[in-house]
Amino acid sequence: MSGSRAGPSADPDPAFEPIVRAVAVSYRYDSGAPALDGVDLEGRPGEIVALVGPNGAGKSTLLRLLAGDLAPDAGALQLPSRRSAAGRVVMGYAGEEACHFESLSGTYNAVFFARAAGLSREEAEAAVREQFDRLGLAEDACRPVSTYSFGARRKLQLVEALAHRPTLTLLDEPFVGLDLDSREALVDLLRDRSAEGGAVMIASHDLDLLPRLADRIVFIHDARVVAGGSTAELLSSVPDVARFEFTLDGGVDRADVVLGEGTTLVDDGDPLVLESDRGHAALPEACLALAAAGARIRAVVVRDAGLAAVFRNVTGAELDA
Amino acid sequence: MTAIVWELEWRIATARRRLLVLNVVVPLFLVLPVAMGAAPAVHAAAVYAVLFAIFSTFGSAIPLVRDGESGLSGRVLRAGVAPASYYLQRTAAGAVLDVLQLGPALAVAAVGAGAGPRAFLAAFLTLAATVWVANLLGVLVAAATRSLAEAALFSAVSTLLLLHASGVFRTPASGSFGATVESVAPFRALHEGLLSMSMMTPVGGGVALGVWCVAMAVATGLLAARLPGSLGVSGRA
Repeated sequence: MSGSRAGPSADPDPAFEPIVRAVAVSYRYDSGAPALDGVDLEGRPGEIVALVGPNGAGKSTLLRLLAGDLAPDAGALQLPSRRSAAGRVVMGYAGEEACHFESLSGTYNAVFFARAAGLSREEAEAAVREQFDRLGLAEDACRPVSTYSFGARRKLQLVEALAHRPTLTLLDEPFVGLDLDSREALVDLLRDRSAEGGAVMIASHDLDLLPRLADRIVFIHDARVVAGGSTAELLSSVPDVARFEFTLDGGVDRADVVLGEGTTLVDDGDPLVLESDRGHAALPEACLALAAAGARIRAVVVRDAGLAAVFRNVTGAELDA
Repeated sequence: MTAIVWELEWRIATARRRLLVLNVVVPLFLVLPVAMGAAPAVHAAAVYAVLFAIFSTFGSAIPLVRDGESGLSGRVLRAGVAPASYYLQRTAAGAVLDVLQLGPALAVAAVGAGAGPRAFLAAFLTLAATVWVANLLGVLVAAATRSLAEAALFSAVSTLLLLHASGVFRTPASGSFGATVESVAPFRALHEGLLSMSMMTPVGGGVALGVWCVAMAVATGLLAARLPGSLGVSGRA
Protein backbone atom coordinates (compact mmCIF):
# COMPACT_ATOMS: atom_id res chain seq x y z
CA MET A 1 0.00 0.00 0.00
CA SER A 2 1.42 3.35 -0.82
CA GLY A 3 1.23 5.71 2.11
CA SER A 4 -0.49 8.37 0.05
CA ARG A 5 -3.33 6.12 -1.02
CA ALA A 6 -3.99 3.71 1.77
CA GLY A 7 -2.28 4.97 4.86
CA PRO A 8 -3.24 7.95 6.93
CA SER A 9 -1.08 10.98 6.39
CA ALA A 10 2.01 11.40 8.53
CA ASP A 11 1.01 12.59 11.96
CA PRO A 12 3.63 14.17 14.18
CA ASP A 13 1.73 13.39 17.39
CA PRO A 14 3.52 10.39 18.98
CA ALA A 15 0.19 9.26 20.44
CA PHE A 16 -0.79 8.41 16.89
CA GLU A 17 2.43 6.65 15.95
CA PRO A 18 1.54 3.32 14.36
CA ILE A 19 1.30 0.37 16.71
CA VAL A 20 2.19 -1.93 13.86
CA ARG A 21 3.69 -1.22 10.46
CA ALA A 22 4.59 -3.26 7.40
CA VAL A 23 6.95 -1.70 4.88
CA ALA A 24 7.30 -3.25 1.41
CA VAL A 25 6.61 -6.68 2.86
CA SER A 26 6.74 -9.66 0.53
CA TYR A 27 6.08 -13.29 1.29
CA ARG A 28 6.01 -16.40 -0.85
CA TYR A 29 4.22 -19.67 -0.20
CA ASP A 30 6.28 -22.85 -0.07
CA SER A 31 5.20 -23.41 -3.67
CA GLY A 32 6.97 -20.18 -4.65
CA ALA A 33 3.74 -18.36 -5.51
CA PRO A 34 3.61 -14.85 -4.09
CA ALA A 35 1.27 -14.42 -1.15
CA LEU A 36 2.20 -10.77 -0.62
CA ASP A 37 4.21 -8.51 -2.84
CA GLY A 38 5.57 -5.21 -1.52
CA VAL A 39 2.77 -4.49 0.92
CA ASP A 40 2.77 -1.36 3.08
CA LEU A 41 0.31 -1.13 5.94
CA GLU A 42 0.00 0.43 9.34
CA GLY A 43 -2.34 0.28 12.28
CA ARG A 44 -2.65 3.29 14.55
CA PRO A 45 -4.07 3.69 18.05
CA GLY A 46 -7.85 3.89 18.07
CA GLU A 47 -8.16 2.76 14.49
CA ILE A 48 -10.12 -0.13 13.02
CA VAL A 49 -8.65 -1.25 9.71
CA ALA A 50 -10.42 -3.76 7.49
CA LEU A 51 -8.49 -5.86 4.97
CA VAL A 52 -10.79 -6.67 2.08
CA GLY A 53 -10.13 -8.84 -0.93
CA PRO A 54 -11.13 -12.05 -2.66
CA ASN A 55 -10.15 -15.45 -1.31
CA GLY A 56 -6.43 -16.07 -1.72
CA ALA A 57 -5.61 -12.36 -2.02
CA GLY A 58 -3.16 -12.54 0.90
CA LYS A 59 -5.21 -11.10 3.78
CA SER A 60 -4.72 -14.02 6.16
CA THR A 61 -1.03 -14.24 5.39
CA LEU A 62 -0.67 -10.54 6.13
CA LEU A 63 -2.37 -11.00 9.49
CA ARG A 64 -0.11 -13.94 10.30
CA LEU A 65 2.93 -11.83 9.46
CA LEU A 66 1.68 -9.05 11.73
CA ALA A 67 1.02 -11.62 14.43
CA GLY A 68 4.67 -12.68 14.20
CA ASP A 69 3.60 -16.14 13.13
CA LEU A 70 5.47 -15.90 9.83
CA ALA A 71 8.59 -14.00 8.84
CA PRO A 72 8.56 -11.90 5.65
CA ASP A 73 10.82 -12.86 2.75
CA ALA A 74 11.46 -9.18 2.06
CA GLY A 75 10.56 -5.83 3.55
CA ALA A 76 10.29 -4.86 7.18
CA LEU A 77 7.76 -5.34 9.92
CA GLN A 78 7.59 -3.00 12.87
CA LEU A 79 5.76 -4.96 15.56
CA PRO A 80 4.99 -3.84 19.11
CA SER A 81 6.82 -5.26 22.12
CA ARG A 82 5.45 -8.64 23.06
CA ARG A 83 4.35 -7.48 26.51
CA SER A 84 3.33 -4.15 27.93
CA ALA A 85 5.05 -2.56 30.92
CA ALA A 86 2.33 -4.17 33.04
CA GLY A 87 3.38 -7.58 31.76
CA ARG A 88 0.36 -8.17 29.57
CA VAL A 89 0.61 -9.58 26.06
CA VAL A 90 0.03 -6.68 23.68
CA MET A 91 -1.49 -8.64 20.83
CA GLY A 92 -4.69 -10.60 20.47
CA TYR A 93 -4.95 -12.82 17.40
CA ALA A 94 -7.74 -15.05 16.16
CA GLY A 95 -6.72 -16.78 12.96
CA GLU A 96 -8.17 -19.48 10.80
CA GLU A 97 -7.34 -22.37 13.12
CA ALA A 98 -10.09 -22.75 15.72
CA CYS A 99 -8.29 -25.35 17.84
CA HIS A 100 -8.93 -25.63 21.55
CA PHE A 101 -8.40 -28.02 24.43
CA GLU A 102 -11.39 -30.10 23.43
CA SER A 103 -11.90 -32.06 26.63
CA LEU A 104 -11.98 -28.91 28.78
CA SER A 105 -14.75 -26.36 29.19
CA GLY A 106 -14.99 -23.15 27.21
CA THR A 107 -14.39 -21.17 30.38
CA TYR A 108 -11.23 -23.11 31.21
CA ASN A 109 -9.91 -22.59 27.68
CA ALA A 110 -10.57 -18.86 27.70
CA VAL A 111 -9.24 -18.34 31.22
CA PHE A 112 -6.10 -20.28 30.31
CA PHE A 113 -5.38 -18.02 27.34
CA ALA A 114 -6.14 -14.88 29.34
CA ARG A 115 -3.77 -16.00 32.09
CA ALA A 116 -1.13 -16.83 29.48
CA ALA A 117 -1.51 -13.23 28.30
CA GLY A 118 -0.66 -11.97 31.77
CA LEU A 119 -3.95 -11.64 33.64
CA SER A 120 -4.27 -13.01 37.16
CA ARG A 121 -6.72 -15.86 37.63
CA GLU A 122 -9.34 -13.49 39.11
CA GLU A 123 -8.89 -10.91 36.35
CA ALA A 124 -9.05 -13.61 33.70
CA GLU A 125 -12.21 -15.15 35.12
CA ALA A 126 -13.94 -11.76 35.35
CA ALA A 127 -12.91 -10.75 31.81
CA VAL A 128 -13.98 -14.08 30.35
CA ARG A 129 -17.33 -14.00 32.16
CA GLU A 130 -18.04 -10.52 30.81
CA GLN A 131 -17.17 -11.44 27.24
CA PHE A 132 -19.06 -14.72 27.37
CA ASP A 133 -22.12 -12.70 28.42
CA ARG A 134 -21.64 -10.14 25.66
CA LEU A 135 -21.09 -12.70 22.91
CA GLY A 136 -23.91 -14.98 24.09
CA LEU A 137 -21.69 -17.85 25.14
CA ALA A 138 -22.57 -17.90 28.85
CA GLU A 139 -24.90 -20.90 28.56
CA ASP A 140 -22.17 -22.99 26.96
CA ALA A 141 -19.45 -21.85 29.35
CA CYS A 142 -19.16 -25.03 31.39
CA ARG A 143 -19.55 -27.56 28.60
CA PRO A 144 -16.50 -29.26 27.06
CA VAL A 145 -15.46 -27.56 23.84
CA SER A 146 -15.82 -30.91 22.02
CA THR A 147 -19.61 -30.40 22.28
CA TYR A 148 -19.53 -26.86 20.83
CA SER A 149 -21.08 -25.83 17.52
CA PHE A 150 -18.98 -24.06 14.89
CA GLY A 151 -20.40 -20.71 15.96
CA ALA A 152 -19.67 -21.32 19.63
CA ARG A 153 -16.09 -22.27 18.79
CA ARG A 154 -15.66 -19.05 16.84
CA LYS A 155 -17.03 -17.02 19.74
CA LEU A 156 -14.68 -18.80 22.13
CA GLN A 157 -11.74 -18.07 19.86
CA LEU A 158 -12.72 -14.39 19.82
CA VAL A 159 -12.97 -14.27 23.61
CA GLU A 160 -9.53 -15.87 23.82
CA ALA A 161 -8.14 -13.16 21.55
CA LEU A 162 -9.89 -10.24 23.26
CA ALA A 163 -10.20 -11.04 26.97
CA HIS A 164 -6.85 -9.47 27.91
CA ARG A 165 -7.78 -6.21 26.11
CA PRO A 166 -4.94 -6.27 23.60
CA THR A 167 -3.42 -3.10 22.20
CA LEU A 168 -3.20 -4.75 18.80
CA THR A 169 -6.10 -6.97 17.77
CA LEU A 170 -5.77 -9.09 14.62
CA LEU A 171 -8.85 -11.04 13.57
CA ASP A 172 -9.27 -13.21 10.50
CA GLU A 173 -12.89 -13.42 9.32
CA PRO A 174 -14.27 -12.79 12.80
CA PHE A 175 -17.92 -12.60 11.72
CA VAL A 176 -18.06 -16.00 10.05
CA GLY A 177 -20.34 -18.37 11.94
CA LEU A 178 -21.80 -15.69 14.21
CA ASP A 179 -25.52 -15.02 14.52
CA LEU A 180 -26.84 -11.49 14.14
CA ASP A 181 -26.80 -10.64 17.86
CA SER A 182 -23.27 -11.94 18.25
CA ARG A 183 -22.11 -9.95 15.22
CA GLU A 184 -23.44 -6.79 16.80
CA ALA A 185 -21.86 -7.72 20.13
CA LEU A 186 -18.53 -8.25 18.39
CA VAL A 187 -18.82 -4.89 16.66
CA ASP A 188 -19.31 -3.31 20.10
CA LEU A 189 -16.34 -5.21 21.52
CA LEU A 190 -14.11 -4.05 18.68
CA ARG A 191 -15.29 -0.48 19.07
CA ASP A 192 -14.43 -0.75 22.76
CA ARG A 193 -10.92 -1.89 21.86
CA SER A 194 -10.61 1.03 19.49
CA ALA A 195 -12.05 3.53 22.00
CA GLU A 196 -9.46 2.38 24.54
CA GLY A 197 -6.71 3.28 22.07
CA GLY A 198 -6.09 -0.14 20.57
CA ALA A 199 -5.48 -0.81 16.90
CA VAL A 200 -7.82 -3.37 15.38
CA MET A 201 -7.17 -5.11 12.07
CA ILE A 202 -9.67 -7.50 10.60
CA ALA A 203 -9.78 -9.48 7.40
CA SER A 204 -13.38 -9.86 6.34
CA HIS A 205 -15.73 -10.40 3.44
CA ASP A 206 -18.61 -8.83 5.30
CA LEU A 207 -19.31 -5.84 3.07
CA ASP A 208 -22.54 -4.95 4.85
CA LEU A 209 -20.90 -4.59 8.21
CA LEU A 210 -17.50 -3.13 7.36
CA PRO A 211 -18.64 0.32 6.23
CA ARG A 212 -20.09 1.05 9.66
CA LEU A 213 -17.27 -0.62 11.61
CA ALA A 214 -14.00 0.19 9.89
CA ASP A 215 -12.31 3.58 9.98
CA ARG A 216 -10.11 2.57 7.12
CA ILE A 217 -10.36 -0.06 4.43
CA VAL A 218 -7.48 -1.62 2.55
CA PHE A 219 -8.18 -3.59 -0.60
CA ILE A 220 -5.83 -6.47 -1.35
CA HIS A 221 -5.84 -8.20 -4.70
CA ASP A 222 -3.35 -10.68 -6.17
CA ALA A 223 -0.91 -10.24 -3.26
CA ARG A 224 -0.81 -6.44 -3.53
CA VAL A 225 -2.55 -3.58 -1.83
CA VAL A 226 -4.51 -2.00 -4.66
CA ALA A 227 -6.38 0.76 -2.84
CA GLY A 228 -7.11 2.05 0.58
CA GLY A 229 -8.36 4.97 2.53
CA SER A 230 -10.97 6.06 4.99
CA THR A 231 -14.26 4.27 4.58
CA ALA A 232 -16.05 7.53 3.86
CA GLU A 233 -13.52 8.53 1.18
CA LEU A 234 -13.77 5.20 -0.57
CA LEU A 235 -17.54 5.10 -0.55
CA SER A 236 -17.77 8.64 -1.86
CA SER A 237 -15.55 7.69 -4.78
CA VAL A 238 -18.34 5.66 -6.38
CA PRO A 239 -21.82 6.79 -7.36
CA ASP A 240 -24.86 5.68 -5.42
CA VAL A 241 -24.62 2.09 -6.49
CA ALA A 242 -27.32 -0.32 -5.34
CA ARG A 243 -26.92 -4.06 -5.45
CA PHE A 244 -29.95 -6.33 -5.93
CA GLU A 245 -29.60 -10.02 -5.12
CA PHE A 246 -32.47 -12.00 -6.65
CA THR A 247 -33.47 -15.51 -5.69
CA LEU A 248 -35.29 -17.01 -8.65
CA ASP A 249 -37.46 -20.06 -9.23
CA GLY A 250 -35.37 -21.72 -11.91
CA GLY A 251 -32.79 -19.84 -13.90
CA VAL A 252 -32.82 -17.19 -16.54
CA ASP A 253 -30.83 -16.84 -19.73
CA ARG A 254 -28.36 -13.99 -19.39
CA ALA A 255 -28.96 -12.96 -22.99
CA ASP A 256 -32.67 -12.48 -22.31
CA VAL A 257 -32.13 -9.94 -19.54
CA VAL A 258 -32.34 -6.48 -21.05
CA LEU A 259 -31.44 -3.85 -18.51
CA GLY A 260 -31.74 -0.09 -18.57
CA GLU A 261 -28.83 2.29 -18.66
CA GLY A 262 -26.62 2.19 -15.57
CA THR A 263 -27.76 -1.27 -14.47
CA THR A 264 -25.51 -4.29 -15.02
CA LEU A 265 -25.78 -8.00 -14.50
CA VAL A 266 -22.90 -8.82 -12.18
CA ASP A 267 -23.55 -12.48 -11.49
CA ASP A 268 -26.10 -14.79 -13.13
CA GLY A 269 -25.69 -17.49 -10.51
CA ASP A 270 -27.83 -18.02 -7.44
CA PRO A 271 -28.50 -15.39 -6.26
CA LEU A 272 -28.56 -13.44 -9.49
CA VAL A 273 -26.89 -10.11 -8.82
CA LEU A 274 -27.62 -6.79 -10.51
CA GLU A 275 -26.01 -3.48 -9.71
CA SER A 276 -27.27 -0.04 -10.67
CA ASP A 277 -25.62 3.33 -10.35
CA ARG A 278 -29.09 4.86 -10.13
CA GLY A 279 -29.48 3.57 -6.60
CA HIS A 280 -32.53 1.85 -5.14
CA ALA A 281 -34.78 3.60 -7.64
CA ALA A 282 -33.68 1.12 -10.28
CA LEU A 283 -35.29 -1.84 -8.46
CA PRO A 284 -38.74 -1.77 -10.14
CA GLU A 285 -37.15 -1.59 -13.56
CA ALA A 286 -34.80 -4.46 -12.70
CA CYS A 287 -37.72 -6.60 -11.56
CA LEU A 288 -39.60 -5.88 -14.76
CA ALA A 289 -36.53 -6.73 -16.85
CA LEU A 290 -36.16 -10.09 -15.14
CA ALA A 291 -39.87 -10.82 -15.44
CA ALA A 292 -39.69 -9.98 -19.13
CA ALA A 293 -36.85 -12.48 -19.46
CA GLY A 294 -39.08 -15.16 -18.02
CA ALA A 295 -37.69 -15.19 -14.50
CA ARG A 296 -39.92 -15.90 -11.51
CA ILE A 297 -38.66 -13.86 -8.61
CA ARG A 298 -38.97 -15.47 -5.17
CA ALA A 299 -37.02 -12.92 -3.12
CA VAL A 300 -34.77 -9.93 -3.51
CA VAL A 301 -32.23 -8.46 -1.15
CA VAL A 302 -31.23 -4.83 -1.68
CA ARG A 303 -27.79 -3.71 -0.58
CA ASP A 304 -25.55 -0.74 -1.09
CA ALA A 305 -22.89 -2.00 -3.46
CA GLY A 306 -20.42 0.48 -2.02
CA LEU A 307 -17.24 -1.43 -1.28
CA ALA A 308 -17.79 -4.06 -3.96
CA ALA A 309 -18.15 -1.27 -6.51
CA VAL A 310 -15.00 0.46 -5.30
CA PHE A 311 -13.10 -2.79 -5.61
CA ARG A 312 -14.43 -3.35 -9.13
CA ASN A 313 -13.49 0.19 -10.13
CA VAL A 314 -9.93 -0.33 -8.95
CA THR A 315 -9.27 -3.88 -10.11
CA GLY A 316 -11.86 -4.65 -12.74
CA ALA A 317 -12.48 -7.87 -10.81
CA GLU A 318 -15.36 -8.99 -8.63
CA LEU A 319 -14.75 -9.04 -4.90
CA ASP A 320 -16.64 -12.28 -4.47
CA ALA A 321 -14.60 -14.06 -7.13
CA MET B 1 4.65 -17.02 34.49
CA THR B 2 2.76 -19.29 36.83
CA ALA B 3 2.50 -23.01 36.31
CA ILE B 4 -0.52 -22.72 34.02
CA VAL B 5 0.72 -25.33 31.55
CA TRP B 6 1.39 -27.83 34.35
CA GLU B 7 -2.12 -27.16 35.64
CA LEU B 8 -3.53 -27.48 32.13
CA GLU B 9 -1.88 -30.87 31.54
CA TRP B 10 -3.35 -32.22 34.76
CA ARG B 11 -6.78 -30.90 33.85
CA ILE B 12 -6.59 -32.56 30.45
CA ALA B 13 -5.36 -35.83 31.93
CA THR B 14 -8.13 -35.98 34.52
CA ALA B 15 -10.76 -34.94 31.97
CA ARG B 16 -9.79 -37.85 29.73
CA ARG B 17 -10.57 -40.56 32.25
CA ARG B 18 -10.77 -43.37 29.72
CA LEU B 19 -7.27 -42.65 28.46
CA LEU B 20 -6.02 -42.34 32.02
CA VAL B 21 -7.39 -45.78 32.89
CA LEU B 22 -6.05 -47.32 29.68
CA ASN B 23 -2.61 -45.91 30.40
CA VAL B 24 -2.64 -47.74 33.73
CA VAL B 25 -4.28 -50.95 32.57
CA VAL B 26 -2.35 -51.56 29.32
CA PRO B 27 1.17 -51.53 30.89
CA LEU B 28 -0.24 -53.65 33.71
CA PHE B 29 -1.46 -56.29 31.28
CA LEU B 30 1.81 -56.23 29.36
CA VAL B 31 3.85 -56.69 32.53
CA LEU B 32 1.58 -59.26 34.17
CA PRO B 33 2.41 -62.33 32.01
CA VAL B 34 6.13 -61.63 32.25
CA ALA B 35 6.05 -61.03 35.99
CA MET B 36 3.93 -64.08 36.70
CA GLY B 37 5.69 -66.33 34.19
CA ALA B 38 9.02 -68.00 34.56
CA ALA B 39 10.97 -65.53 32.43
CA PRO B 40 14.64 -65.19 33.43
CA ALA B 41 15.28 -61.97 35.35
CA VAL B 42 17.52 -60.56 32.61
CA HIS B 43 14.84 -61.00 29.97
CA ALA B 44 12.09 -59.66 32.22
CA ALA B 45 14.13 -56.55 33.06
CA ALA B 46 14.75 -55.93 29.36
CA VAL B 47 11.04 -56.19 28.58
CA TYR B 48 10.12 -53.80 31.39
CA ALA B 49 12.83 -51.30 30.43
CA VAL B 50 11.68 -51.24 26.80
CA LEU B 51 8.04 -50.84 27.84
CA PHE B 52 8.66 -48.05 30.33
CA ALA B 53 11.05 -46.04 28.16
CA ILE B 54 8.99 -46.27 24.97
CA PHE B 55 5.76 -45.55 26.87
CA SER B 56 7.21 -42.23 28.01
CA THR B 57 8.89 -41.19 24.77
CA PHE B 58 5.76 -41.95 22.74
CA GLY B 59 3.54 -40.33 25.33
CA SER B 60 5.51 -37.12 25.07
CA ALA B 61 6.25 -36.96 21.34
CA ILE B 62 2.90 -37.99 19.85
CA PRO B 63 0.66 -35.44 21.62
CA LEU B 64 3.22 -32.73 21.00
CA VAL B 65 3.25 -33.40 17.25
CA ARG B 66 -0.54 -33.63 17.26
CA ASP B 67 -0.85 -30.27 19.05
CA GLY B 68 1.71 -28.78 16.69
CA GLU B 69 -0.19 -29.99 13.64
CA SER B 70 -3.51 -28.68 14.92
CA GLY B 71 -1.96 -25.31 15.70
CA LEU B 72 -2.68 -25.59 19.42
CA SER B 73 0.94 -25.35 20.53
CA GLY B 74 1.39 -22.33 18.29
CA ARG B 75 -1.65 -20.69 19.83
CA VAL B 76 -0.38 -21.28 23.37
CA LEU B 77 3.05 -19.86 22.55
CA ARG B 78 1.56 -16.89 20.71
CA ALA B 79 -0.75 -16.26 23.66
CA GLY B 80 2.23 -15.46 25.82
CA VAL B 81 3.61 -18.68 27.31
CA ALA B 82 7.41 -18.74 27.00
CA PRO B 83 8.56 -21.69 24.87
CA ALA B 84 10.93 -23.08 27.52
CA SER B 85 8.24 -22.82 30.15
CA TYR B 86 5.71 -24.52 27.86
CA TYR B 87 7.87 -27.52 27.04
CA LEU B 88 9.32 -27.99 30.51
CA GLN B 89 6.02 -27.65 32.36
CA ARG B 90 4.36 -29.95 29.89
CA THR B 91 7.17 -32.50 30.20
CA ALA B 92 7.17 -32.32 33.99
CA ALA B 93 3.43 -32.98 34.12
CA GLY B 94 3.81 -35.78 31.58
CA ALA B 95 6.62 -37.39 33.56
CA VAL B 96 4.69 -37.33 36.85
CA LEU B 97 1.64 -38.75 35.11
CA ASP B 98 3.79 -41.48 33.57
CA VAL B 99 5.19 -42.41 36.98
CA LEU B 100 1.67 -42.69 38.37
CA GLN B 101 0.47 -44.67 35.36
CA LEU B 102 3.47 -47.01 35.29
CA GLY B 103 3.66 -47.35 39.07
CA PRO B 104 1.15 -50.24 39.28
CA ALA B 105 2.97 -52.11 36.50
CA LEU B 106 6.27 -51.65 38.33
CA ALA B 107 4.64 -52.90 41.52
CA VAL B 108 3.44 -56.04 39.73
CA ALA B 109 6.93 -56.55 38.31
CA ALA B 110 8.36 -56.17 41.82
CA VAL B 111 5.93 -58.72 43.23
CA GLY B 112 6.80 -61.12 40.41
CA ALA B 113 10.49 -60.65 41.10
CA GLY B 114 10.05 -61.05 44.84
CA ALA B 115 11.65 -57.66 45.44
CA GLY B 116 11.90 -56.16 48.89
CA PRO B 117 10.87 -52.57 49.65
CA ARG B 118 14.41 -51.28 49.27
CA ALA B 119 14.86 -52.78 45.79
CA PHE B 120 11.41 -51.56 44.78
CA LEU B 121 12.22 -48.04 45.96
CA ALA B 122 15.48 -48.06 43.97
CA ALA B 123 13.64 -49.24 40.85
CA PHE B 124 10.90 -46.68 41.43
CA LEU B 125 13.39 -43.80 41.69
CA THR B 126 15.25 -44.86 38.56
CA LEU B 127 11.89 -45.17 36.78
CA ALA B 128 10.92 -41.64 37.82
CA ALA B 129 14.18 -40.15 36.59
CA THR B 130 14.09 -42.23 33.40
CA VAL B 131 10.58 -41.15 32.39
CA TRP B 132 11.68 -37.51 32.84
CA VAL B 133 14.56 -38.11 30.41
CA ALA B 134 12.32 -40.09 28.04
CA ASN B 135 9.70 -37.35 28.05
CA LEU B 136 12.35 -34.76 27.21
CA LEU B 137 13.64 -37.08 24.49
CA GLY B 138 10.07 -37.08 23.18
CA VAL B 139 10.14 -33.29 22.84
CA LEU B 140 13.34 -33.43 20.80
CA VAL B 141 11.96 -36.29 18.70
CA ALA B 142 8.79 -34.26 18.05
CA ALA B 143 10.91 -31.32 16.98
CA ALA B 144 12.69 -33.48 14.42
CA THR B 145 9.56 -34.94 12.86
CA ARG B 146 6.85 -33.69 10.54
CA SER B 147 4.01 -36.13 11.16
CA LEU B 148 2.58 -38.48 13.74
CA ALA B 149 3.92 -41.49 11.82
CA GLU B 150 7.42 -40.03 11.82
CA ALA B 151 7.11 -39.24 15.51
CA ALA B 152 6.18 -42.86 16.26
CA LEU B 153 9.04 -44.14 14.13
CA PHE B 154 11.66 -41.75 15.52
CA SER B 155 10.49 -42.36 19.08
CA ALA B 156 10.88 -46.10 18.69
CA VAL B 157 14.24 -45.89 16.91
CA SER B 158 15.83 -43.36 19.27
CA THR B 159 14.58 -45.08 22.40
CA LEU B 160 15.62 -48.54 21.27
CA LEU B 161 19.03 -47.19 20.28
CA LEU B 162 19.53 -45.65 23.70
CA LEU B 163 18.25 -48.83 25.38
CA HIS B 164 20.75 -50.81 23.34
CA ALA B 165 23.53 -48.38 24.30
CA SER B 166 22.43 -48.75 27.91
CA GLY B 167 23.19 -52.47 27.85
CA VAL B 168 19.58 -53.60 27.99
CA PHE B 169 19.92 -56.10 25.11
CA ARG B 170 23.47 -57.29 25.60
CA THR B 171 26.28 -57.04 28.13
CA PRO B 172 29.39 -55.46 26.59
CA ALA B 173 32.81 -56.82 27.41
CA SER B 174 34.43 -55.05 30.33
CA GLY B 175 36.75 -52.24 29.18
CA SER B 176 35.31 -52.19 25.66
CA PHE B 177 33.95 -49.14 23.89
CA GLY B 178 30.44 -50.54 24.41
CA ALA B 179 31.05 -50.70 28.15
CA THR B 180 32.17 -47.07 28.17
CA VAL B 181 29.05 -46.00 26.29
CA GLU B 182 26.89 -48.06 28.63
CA SER B 183 28.38 -46.38 31.68
CA VAL B 184 27.10 -42.99 30.53
CA ALA B 185 23.90 -44.09 28.77
CA PRO B 186 20.61 -42.76 30.16
CA PHE B 187 18.63 -45.98 30.57
CA ARG B 188 21.29 -48.09 32.27
CA ALA B 189 20.12 -47.12 35.75
CA LEU B 190 16.53 -48.15 34.98
CA HIS B 191 17.69 -51.48 33.60
CA GLU B 192 19.88 -52.16 36.60
CA GLY B 193 17.17 -51.00 38.97
CA LEU B 194 14.78 -53.49 37.40
CA LEU B 195 17.40 -56.25 37.49
CA SER B 196 18.14 -55.58 41.13
CA MET B 197 14.53 -56.32 42.06
CA SER B 198 15.19 -60.02 41.50
CA MET B 199 18.99 -60.31 41.47
CA MET B 200 19.75 -57.96 44.39
CA THR B 201 22.63 -56.52 42.35
CA PRO B 202 23.82 -52.95 42.95
CA VAL B 203 22.25 -50.26 40.78
CA GLY B 204 24.82 -48.44 38.64
CA GLY B 205 24.41 -45.53 36.28
CA GLY B 206 22.64 -43.30 38.78
CA VAL B 207 25.06 -40.41 38.36
CA ALA B 208 24.88 -40.60 34.57
CA LEU B 209 21.08 -40.63 34.76
CA GLY B 210 21.16 -37.55 37.01
CA VAL B 211 23.37 -35.77 34.52
CA TRP B 212 21.00 -36.73 31.69
CA CYS B 213 18.04 -35.39 33.69
CA VAL B 214 19.68 -31.98 34.06
CA ALA B 215 21.35 -31.84 30.65
CA MET B 216 18.21 -32.77 28.73
CA ALA B 217 16.16 -30.20 30.65
CA VAL B 218 18.74 -27.48 29.99
CA ALA B 219 18.98 -28.46 26.32
CA THR B 220 15.20 -28.37 25.95
CA GLY B 221 15.04 -24.99 27.66
CA LEU B 222 17.77 -23.54 25.47
CA LEU B 223 16.43 -25.01 22.25
CA ALA B 224 12.77 -24.29 23.01
CA ALA B 225 12.58 -20.99 21.17
CA ARG B 226 14.20 -22.57 18.12
CA LEU B 227 12.08 -25.69 17.94
CA PRO B 228 10.68 -25.80 14.44
CA GLY B 229 7.26 -25.64 12.89
CA SER B 230 6.25 -29.20 13.68
CA LEU B 231 5.75 -27.97 17.24
CA GLY B 232 3.72 -25.01 16.10
CA VAL B 233 6.24 -22.36 17.05
CA SER B 234 6.43 -20.88 13.61
CA GLY B 235 6.04 -22.08 10.11
CA ARG B 236 5.37 -21.24 6.52
CA ALA B 237 1.96 -20.74 5.02
